[in-house]
Amino acid sequence: MTTHLSRRSFLTVMGVGGASFALGYYPTLGDEKGASLEPNAFVRVDPDGTVTIWASKSEMGQGIKTGLAMIVAEQMDCDWSKVRALQADGDGAKYGRQGTGGSGSTRGMMQQLSQMGASARAMLVEAAATEWGVDKSTCRTENGKVIHDASGKSKSYGDLASAAAKLTVPAGQVPLKERKDFSIVGKPTLRVDNHDVVTGTAVYAQDVQVSGAAYGVISRRPAFGATLKSFDDAEARKVPGVIDVFRVTSGVCVIGENTWAAMKGREALKCDWDMGPNAALNTAELSKRLRESVGEHPAMPEGAKVVDATYDFPFLAHYTMEPMNCVADVRADSCTVWAPSQSPDGVQSQVSRMLSLPIGSVTVKVPLLGGGFGRRGAGDFVSDAVEASKQAKRPVKLLWTRDDDMRNDGYRPMSHHAMRGAVIDGKPVAFNHQFIKAQGGSTRTAGTPGNAGLTYRIPSATQMNGNAASPIPTGAWRSVDHSQVSVAVECFIDEMAQAAGKDPLQFRRENTSDPRLLKVLEVVEEKSGWSKPLATGLSRGVACFNGYGGRTAHVVELSIADGEVKLHRVVCVVDCGYAINPKSVEAQMQGACVDGLSTALFAEITIENGGVVQSNPLDYKWTRMNHMPKVEVYVLENDPNPAGMGETGYPGVPAAVANAVTAATGKRVRKFPNRLDELV
Amino acid sequence: MPEYTINVNGQQKKVEAVPDMPLLWVLRDLLGLTGSKYGCGIGACGACSVLIDGEEMRSCRFPISDVGAAKVTTIEGLSKDGSHPLQEAWIEHDVPQCGYCQTGNIMAAAGMLRSKPNPTDADIDEALGSHVCRCGTYTRMREAIKAAARGVK
Repeated sequence: MTTHLSRRSFLTVMGVGGASFALGYYPTLGDEKGASLEPNAFVRVDPDGTVTIWASKSEMGQGIKTGLAMIVAEQMDCDWSKVRALQADGDGAKYGRQGTGGSGSTRGMMQQLSQMGASARAMLVEAAATEWGVDKSTCRTENGKVIHDASGKSKSYGDLASAAAKLTVPAGQVPLKERKDFSIVGKPTLRVDNHDVVTGTAVYAQDVQVSGAAYGVISRRPAFGATLKSFDDAEARKVPGVIDVFRVTSGVCVIGENTWAAMKGREALKCDWDMGPNAALNTAELSKRLRESVGEHPAMPEGAKVVDATYDFPFLAHYTMEPMNCVADVRADSCTVWAPSQSPDGVQSQVSRMLSLPIGSVTVKVPLLGGGFGRRGAGDFVSDAVEASKQAKRPVKLLWTRDDDMRNDGYRPMSHHAMRGAVIDGKPVAFNHQFIKAQGGSTRTAGTPGNAGLTYRIPSATQMNGNAASPIPTGAWRSVDHSQVSVAVECFIDEMAQAAGKDPLQFRRENTSDPRLLKVLEVVEEKSGWSKPLATGLSRGVACFNGYGGRTAHVVELSIADGEVKLHRVVCVVDCGYAINPKSVEAQMQGACVDGLSTALFAEITIENGGVVQSNPLDYKWTRMNHMPKVEVYVLENDPNPAGMGETGYPGVPAAVANAVTAATGKRVRKFPNRLDELV
Repeated sequence: MPEYTINVNGQQKKVEAVPDMPLLWVLRDLLGLTGSKYGCGIGACGACSVLIDGEEMRSCRFPISDVGAAKVTTIEGLSKDGSHPLQEAWIEHDVPQCGYCQTGNIMAAAGMLRSKPNPTDADIDEALGSHVCRCGTYTRMREAIKAAARGVK
């Protein structure tokens, strides 16, 4: 294989389909050894027939490594059993933007990767046609082979790789296979990492074996805004296996010969903190600030029945199963990091800036991410590892303990929602939603024009957004603002339906004109048996969602006994546009369902003395196997474009739970998580 | 520093460690067996689960000094090649999402199947109810366990 440096010099930027992005196209140089075909940064065909496809977006459980490879392989007509999907390094020059979030990976890369696959296929066809002396238009491809039916000739991609490598990569767009001819995309496909995961050989960052590596943990601030006055490391240094103790930006780092030594060293460390300006801050104060930021609702139409409600949402931690961590090996003139990041190219830039190294001297390896949910877009854990390795002068495996992770997150913001709506003759006629987040500095509420992003037809609908001052760091959490805005809307729509004297599901159907939303509602009605009576003691709630190019409708069935909510059944109907991998669509809906149940009933982050109270899975409670209801997922495909699926499955679930709690108790939910003694 | 000889996956392993070092870090940092994961450090999530004489144990809370002559089985020792019925069922039912908790869950299920080869839903709830899967793979885990118990891949 020739070096990437020589090939990179041919990097060009081409416009495809009106969009202009770095394709990573570079003509394949005639390789002296006549080995592999590498038409672009994402695909390589080896003489043994192996087709390697690199995923530039991070695999964090959403199945993207499998899904992106399927898109390329489809357009190439690969033999799927010979496809090897690998995680790309963080390298913005080679791969373009690698940020993985916003349910945008498949939607954003579909066209580009289809072209990558199609152009590789075109080169293989041209190589075969040239060798056989036939017109390339008379050749076809199937299952990793080029076939010429008239002569009965066929040749595998592996056997054509070296000849194809001598050809010029097609310029501009290559015609694509149509969906009706797909044999890989759309087929339920097992994840490429399954075997490694179940045998324990899958590699997460802390699993990398780096020669000479030490282990680091950091003693961190007890409150947001606290600063370190001094520390005493005398006892820490006496702990067997402790190698070094030093200050880093985020606190005091203890380096040990193993993780346990570093942890024990941290326990023995004495840090003196100035608690800073937020030392007295607590959740009640933030809640007060949120409520004080609510403005006047606009006037409601004369003669209408007016509905008022407020909803409060807590901070939420991401609580990835694998806590934040990173491995760094800082050398004098280079650095390698193993970063479980949702922004690998961003990590490369970050490390380059931190160490004043040329970007090409920073290697970013991306191991499997043990969950992301938005948390790993940040670079704080990378900074920790790089600083630690630089000072320790050796590779460092830097680990956040669970309490570090829980107490130093960028949280889904706490928020308050003040809603007012009006109905006349069973129809919604006005709607105002004030959404105040605890985030950054205080801002006035500002109105959004149009229909407030509502999927419902309400003649006078407005949404007003504002912030209440808060020093608690925030970040994107699964479905971002939808995790509260859309949940509040779906709770309130139930309240408006009640005021209108309508069944909540029928009310939704009557007041939306979106055909895809109507369809998921229709199917959820049928699959859940909405029109049939429930067994004694059971109650149900419905909610729907339109976002990220997809639609969902959920029905949740629950009962209440001994002062606790028991979940019985969740019916989820999703319109995913069309499914690249139906198994992944289903998995995303099942997973989002667990998040929705957990945050509807259990999980919240609270603040005391300027810091986070919760620190572990016992006080930040998540749904477990024994709480799980039966979950049924029905996948519809009603759009020519695949929708994003990571975020989309969440918002409907907590709303449907809340609406079911109301159906069961006759009382309204005003707070998340829903507690039975806090209903009104 | 004390020296211990422990039986891991059928092999005698000699390690030097402080007596309170949890088995998890012995396995991961001293023996390079990284299939068992750190999740919470207080035995509350199950990502670190291994078998001690066939019973599920949270290795993050189990000190090396307590291992003695017990047989430790980690995910690396569950089968030579991923052919344990649970592993095959896990692959076939496409259970893993991020995958981080999965080895702990598989070990817990393996422990359960030793005493309950035909587990009911309640048995599965009991065996895995103290584990967290943050991606929410519970529905598929349950299916995979039942399939493995039936001897169906």
